[in-house]
Amino acid sequence: MGNLLDVPIHRLMDELSVTAALRFNRSSNAGTAKRSSLGPEDTLWVDRYRPLRFTELLGNERVARETMAWVKQWDWCVFGKKKSKKRQREDDENFNPDDEYHRPKEKLLLISGPPGLGKTTLAHVIAAQAGYEVMEINASDARSAQVVDDRIRPALESGSAVGSTKPVLLIIDEIDGATGGDNSSSFIQKLVSLTFDRPRNKRKARDQREKRPLLRPIICICNDQNAHALSKLRPHARQIRYTRPADIHIVKRLREICETEGLRADTRALSTLVGVAKGDLRGCLNTLQFIKSRNEEVTEPLIRRATVGMKEADTSMTSVINEIFAPLSRKRIKELGMGEDEEARYVNRLSRAVEGLNNPSSIANGCFAHYANCRHHDANMSNHEKATEWLVAYDTFSSVMYADGDFGLHSYLSYFLVPFHALFRERGAQRIERDSTDWDNLQLTRANDEIYKSLSNGVRTSSGRNAGNYRHLITGQVLQLEFAPYINRIISPPLRPVNSQVIKPGEKALLERLVEIMVALELRFVQEKAEDGQLVYRLDPPIDVFVTYDGKRAADIAVSRYAVRHLVAAEIDAALIARQADAVEKGKGGGAKSGFFSRASGKKAEVPEAEPGDARDGGEGDSDRLRRADPSEAEPPNKRARSQPQEKIDIADKPPVDFFGRLIAVPVSKGGGKSAKGGGGGTKEYGVKYQYLEGNSAAVRKPIKVSSFL
Amino acid sequence: MSLWVDRFRPRTLDDLHYHEGLSARLKSLAASGDFPHMLFYGPSGAGKKTRISCTLRQLFGTGVEKLKIDQRVFISPSKRKLEINIVQSNFHIEITPSEAGNYDRVVIQELLKEIAQTQQVDLNAKQRFKVVIINEADSLSRDAQAALRRTMEKYMSNMRIILCANSTSRLIAPIKSRCLLMRVAAPTPEEMQTVLEHVAKKLKFDLPPEASQQIAEDSGGNMRKALLVFEALKMQSPDLSGPLSIAKPDWETYCHKVADLIVQEQTPARVMEVRAKFYELLSHCIPPTVILKTVAERVVERVDESLKADIMHWAAFYECRMRMGNKKIYHLEAWVVKVMSLYKHFVYNFDMSEFE
Repeated sequence: MGNLLDVPIHRLMDELSVTAALRFNRSSNAGTAKRSSLGPEDTLWVDRYRPLRFTELLGNERVARETMAWVKQWDWCVFGKKKSKKRQREDDENFNPDDEYHRPKEKLLLISGPPGLGKTTLAHVIAAQAGYEVMEINASDARSAQVVDDRIRPALESGSAVGSTKPVLLIIDEIDGATGGDNSSSFIQKLVSLTFDRPRNKRKARDQREKRPLLRPIICICNDQNAHALSKLRPHARQIRYTRPADIHIVKRLREICETEGLRADTRALSTLVGVAKGDLRGCLNTLQFIKSRNEEVTEPLIRRATVGMKEADTSMTSVINEIFAPLSRKRIKELGMGEDEEARYVNRLSRAVEGLNNPSSIANGCFAHYANCRHHDANMSNHEKATEWLVAYDTFSSVMYADGDFGLHSYLSYFLVPFHALFRERGAQRIERDSTDWDNLQLTRANDEIYKSLSNGVRTSSGRNAGNYRHLITGQVLQLEFAPYINRIISPPLRPVNSQVIKPGEKALLERLVEIMVALELRFVQEKAEDGQLVYRLDPPIDVFVTYDGKRAADIAVSRYAVRHLVAAEIDAALIARQADAVEKGKGGGAKSGFFSRASGKKAEVPEAEPGDARDGGEGDSDRLRRADPSEAEPPNKRARSQPQEKIDIADKPPVDFFGRLIAVPVSKGGGKSAKGGGGGTKEYGVKYQYLEGNSAAVRKPIKVSSFL
Repeated sequence: MSLWVDRFRPRTLDDLHYHEGLSARLKSLAASGDFPHMLFYGPSGAGKKTRISCTLRQLFGTGVEKLKIDQRVFISPSKRKLEINIVQSNFHIEITPSEAGNYDRVVIQELLKEIAQTQQVDLNAKQRFKVVIINEADSLSRDAQAALRRTMEKYMSNMRIILCANSTSRLIAPIKSRCLLMRVAAPTPEEMQTVLEHVAKKLKFDLPPEASQQIAEDSGGNMRKALLVFEALKMQSPDLSGPLSIAKPDWETYCHKVADLIVQEQTPARVMEVRAKFYELLSHCIPPTVILKTVAERVVERVDESLKADIMHWAAFYECRMRMGNKKIYHLEAWVVKVMSLYKHFVYNFDMSEFE
């Protein structure tokens, strides 16, 4: 015992660790020996050397850390509050303060990157490290919207898998193959709504206990970040792009594996392998295992032979376009082991690349978007001329193909795009990014098309009895070329927002005419609140976009001011009501004459009553900061005198349209009663009649016996 | 009430202001009781549709003015739903098959058969047949035109067809030979002036002759445009006195800007600028053929005499290609690059023939 004290503790520890290491080494050596001695192997190397711990992960450490950080953000929600002070503070920045579960802001994580780099492995390792049980949904499962309801929701709501104490973490692999799209029944939509809806009906959910908020992390994995199906998911997900780790690291790992497996390999061969595979670790391992199974030594020519098929593996739109516009890099040439003349023969290589993507039109778009940007010296633009000729030929060819349904021609399409390489290839040019101008433009065109449609619908069905009179204006190009520009000018006369007491007769006529036209064409001014909280009147349908180019309105059209639009909108409402009333009255055989007289009577009787309305009006104007010139607020009496009680009420309280009839009813009937009987108590008799003609503004006019005036 | 274009549209053949000979002929045709299929053609805004509706009124009386509008749904062979707006009265029906795009054949076939197989039940009707008006007949697809051929003969007893087109060039010969061709030429400036003065007189205001002359000249034989311009002017400056500045439609101004850009500078960077402008125009739903034509006309105004023919030639060439293709912007830009290259060759005094 005493002996022990002679030896210092650190030496004892060292000895212990040395013996432990020796024992460990021996056993592992025995293991490998046993493994390599086995004839046909029973596991893939890919599986055997899959990293199991966070520290074993290869390559892009930043990505791994980011993913881990995101998963850790769920800790508060999943494992309860057992975090150190420090972490909490740091996390607080990421947390959405409204979220009572302290979940991260984006409740989905989207990892994207080329195949074989270990995205799935990363997700699994991190989940295990963070203490989760993994539930995986991948391409082998059905991925319809139903899956969300049938499998995902129950799993997430129960919080852990059956027979396990660990909380569940959902990994949706190869999500770019899931059903996307706009309809609400797609997988992606469902998934987003799973995360997105919850906070909104949280209150309700508590009571009903039916829909619980999402409390478990979801990791989505895809190859193509820009896949169409993911367009709805992207805004709601935290995106992490997985890039190819440095070749050195991969080579190092491969060498370790080769050593363990007892395979002799020189570094040169291994780096060639990595280069050809473009960092695809899975591909490298499979190749190595294949070589090993034939008990050969890993040498460069052998690698070349084994990887013949690997060359064309990767394609994405941007990579193909980059390939077209830039010559192969020296490094890549070496990786592929091509000679001079093979490099020069680009047609086959590029056409195969274009074809491999199977979407020549997007490549054509990319070429079109980019070719004019090339800094190619070209005095008389002959290269550009040739390029456009190729594009035109491409377009003609492809549209013939689609029109005739002759898809046998498809294999020739790629050749129209290859010449861009010869015309514009440029060494050391900037990498080309995806260009969405064309797509944006298409969207805009569609939106404007809708506006045209609603305009033409309005024009077609409007103006009641004379429906169809305007149909000549909206056929074909007339609408876009003639009608739309000029109608914009017709409906924006130079009106001033002035007091209508001093309005000139000419302007008054102008205003009336404007209102007539706008009513007839079903154009309205709709009040809206702009982003800065200011009230604006918007034309609906917004046909003023057709005189707006480059975001600027045509110079010769006066900008109509808020006050003017306000005035016009009020007049339009009045005109609409008047028209409805006319229609009703006509239906009853009352005739327009009595209507006219009732109006006249209303006007006379009403002038004194207008004041309170004005006061209200003014108040509203101030509070809304209408910027209306002060005198303009005084205008209502006169205007009202011209065109009827309805619109006074309209100004006073705009929104409740229902109220129109009733509110009008009071002053008019009073007025009628007063002037007819010299004031006093006539209201009751009329009250009965209102009930009879409930809810119709015609009811206002009907009871006014104008004959009593005459 | 309504826009002047509609308010002062002549309702009867007698009210028409110009082409009296044509009116007389239409009248006698309507009276003869042997009314043929007809094809009205002529430039936009010349008054084709006005003449058609006047003729209908001559044929059937005021009943044709009672219109109803509804939407019919047709099912294309690929089970897509096509919604077509139909304007009809008791005596006629009006369709624009180009609304259905590629499936206009389905619309033509179904609709015509349906009409052809029903007889006029109104005993008081003046004519035993119904009239089908097909607008924009020149944009009918070949299939649809072929579908028309036999129907036009077979159902002659129940139905007459009136086609309305801008030009006959895209109608197949068998259709043309089955119709009585009616050319409605654009009115001369003098004729347009009389119409404008008529409108002014009806509205009881004074139209200075210079103003009417200017409007008539500016609208290039398009009566509809003239009236719209007139009304816009009247709205913007009620007295119409002094020098008038007639606003061009915005797309036209914009096209001119594009043309100026092309003439000013010929570089790839400029190509990109022009492309952005083309995108803007296209997104405003301006037909690409119109864009090309307008820009080309403006460019031709501004370049040297010797280039004009070439530029127009290539414009025509690319317009043809554009009609065959799908991506309009490619063809527009192809033309721009071609023009730039031509211009550069001209400036540097290169001879094209040596190059090629």
